[in-house]
Amino acid sequence: MTHLLNVTDLSVNIADKTLLSNISFQLTQGDYLCILGPNGAGKSTLLKTLMGIVETSSGKIKLNQHSLSQLSQKDLARQVSYVPQAHGHQLNFTVIDFIKMARYAYHSAFSDWSLNDQHALDHSISITDTEGFLYRQMSTLSGGETQRVMIAAALCQQSPLLLLDEPTSFLDPRHQVEVHQLIQELNQQHGISIIEVSHDLNHAAQHSKHILALKQGEVLWYGESSELLQDSHLHALYDQEFVFTTHPQTGAVVALPSERQAGEQQ
Amino acid sequence: MKPINTLLVIGLISLLILCISPYLGLIIKDPAIEYHILTQLRLPRVLFAFIAGAGLALCGMVFQAMFHNPLATPFTLGVASGASLGAAIYVYLGFSFTLLGLDGGTFAAFLGALIAISFVYTISRYQNGFSPETLLLTGVAISFFFSSLILFTQYLSNLTDSFQILRWLMGSLTTVGYRDIMQLLPFVTLCSAAILWLTRELNLLMAGDDIALSRGVSVQKIRYSLFFVTSLCVGAIVALCGPIGFIGMMVPHICRLIIGNDHRYLAPASLLVGGSFLIVCDTISRLIIAPAEIPVGVITTLLGGPFFLWLLIKSKSKEA
Repeated sequence: MTHLLNVTDLSVNIADKTLLSNISFQLTQGDYLCILGPNGAGKSTLLKTLMGIVETSSGKIKLNQHSLSQLSQKDLARQVSYVPQAHGHQLNFTVIDFIKMARYAYHSAFSDWSLNDQHALDHSISITDTEGFLYRQMSTLSGGETQRVMIAAALCQQSPLLLLDEPTSFLDPRHQVEVHQLIQELNQQHGISIIEVSHDLNHAAQHSKHILALKQGEVLWYGESSELLQDSHLHALYDQEFVFTTHPQTGAVVALPSERQAGEQQ
Repeated sequence: MKPINTLLVIGLISLLILCISPYLGLIIKDPAIEYHILTQLRLPRVLFAFIAGAGLALCGMVFQAMFHNPLATPFTLGVASGASLGAAIYVYLGFSFTLLGLDGGTFAAFLGALIAISFVYTISRYQNGFSPETLLLTGVAISFFFSSLILFTQYLSNLTDSFQILRWLMGSLTTVGYRDIMQLLPFVTLCSAAILWLTRELNLLMAGDDIALSRGVSVQKIRYSLFFVTSLCVGAIVALCGPIGFIGMMVPHICRLIIGNDHRYLAPASLLVGGSFLIVCDTISRLIIAPAEIPVGVITTLLGGPFFLWLLIKSKSKEA
């Protein structure tokens, strides 16, 4: 099978600091990969490297057989889209303007809004269910609404690969479920390949197809999601004991961090 | 109102200001002299004010968008003080030359601006790439450093030169003829064309570098080219009429409040409002204690400060 994304021996150093070293993995078309790992493991850096935001120091990233370094930023944007971690940065746009701006890669300085652009826009709005607040200012949206708009804008780029950096952190449980359902729908019904950075290991184990576990900038474990929930894997990854139980509704295995007894040494 | 209609209204008002202002304060009754004053003194002065104001406003708008910071203007980043230092040294040295049709003063100011930019550049690039925060702080530090060097130059100069430098530092449009317009026009035209060409990129830059990059903008390349054209433009303006403050910070802000943040409309609006605003300020500066004239830089700051505060308070109370 041909790979959509092929990462070989990727390393990233910034100012004498090694953020990622010797990362290798592949992604097939339609895959759903979750990147897990403790804080500071390099998860976000890896996503940013794939999006061309952070430069690679050594190693190769191949996207559809093309080397990432040879693609122009516009070419890259037609192949990969990115939803950054929620940040405090105020966005002074209306929702519709913000989503429309995502068509940048398909335009030159004076080209008009085309029928294709309109299709992409309508499609991304209807999938993400954002019709209700198209003319509101971005700064007035709630966390869940903002995340849906960010995903809508990324979809409007019509790229086969979507990168998501902790899309559900800062959201309440209802909106977490909502955004996760949306991501699964994108993957299963619309065939979009997904790489998601997450801290939610139960979600990752149940819904993603593959998992890449990073620790201190290196790959600790890479494999099928169903094999993740074992004490040996999780303990090595988070330096934390886990207990396992089953979900009362679905019967799936669920991992919970074990409670430390008072006075017990780590 | 739709942005395009707002823009149309702004255009009409600008045209009106452009047409009326040369006639204000004409007291001589002899038609021949009147004609001479209008065509040889007033008209070039009004045109020059429009071009300079438009250039300053556009450059301010670009800096605000690039650094996501309302305080980032060519002035706060040290570009204007670099240009001022160049011009002050030129006056102090007391020789005059022309190069490629450019007056020596322009050339010196221009060189000063470029030196300031290279300083800000090298230092901020040495530190962690190109973060807006480092750049802004570097700019402020360099601005202070150059300002003290200007004072030092003034201290060394004789009384006449020192006064000339001081007068020029206040920002003035008094000794303007068609020749000055021809000196300024190419720079401002080049800069405006580049900025109007890159309005979509500016929109995305305002959303943050990560988002801009992921949408396909070559952020570094765009930023370098914008930095280059704006310093050219500011260098030329500062050399010819001194550092006229506040326009670059204020006009784009006012325009954002009127027409919104979409640079496809904001850029032409800033251009028009910046130009007309400087004409109005200059008209006031020559009428208020006529026949004497106040330096226009004093007027822009006196008018601009309170107006800006008023707008700020108004928009805050609307949010609440």
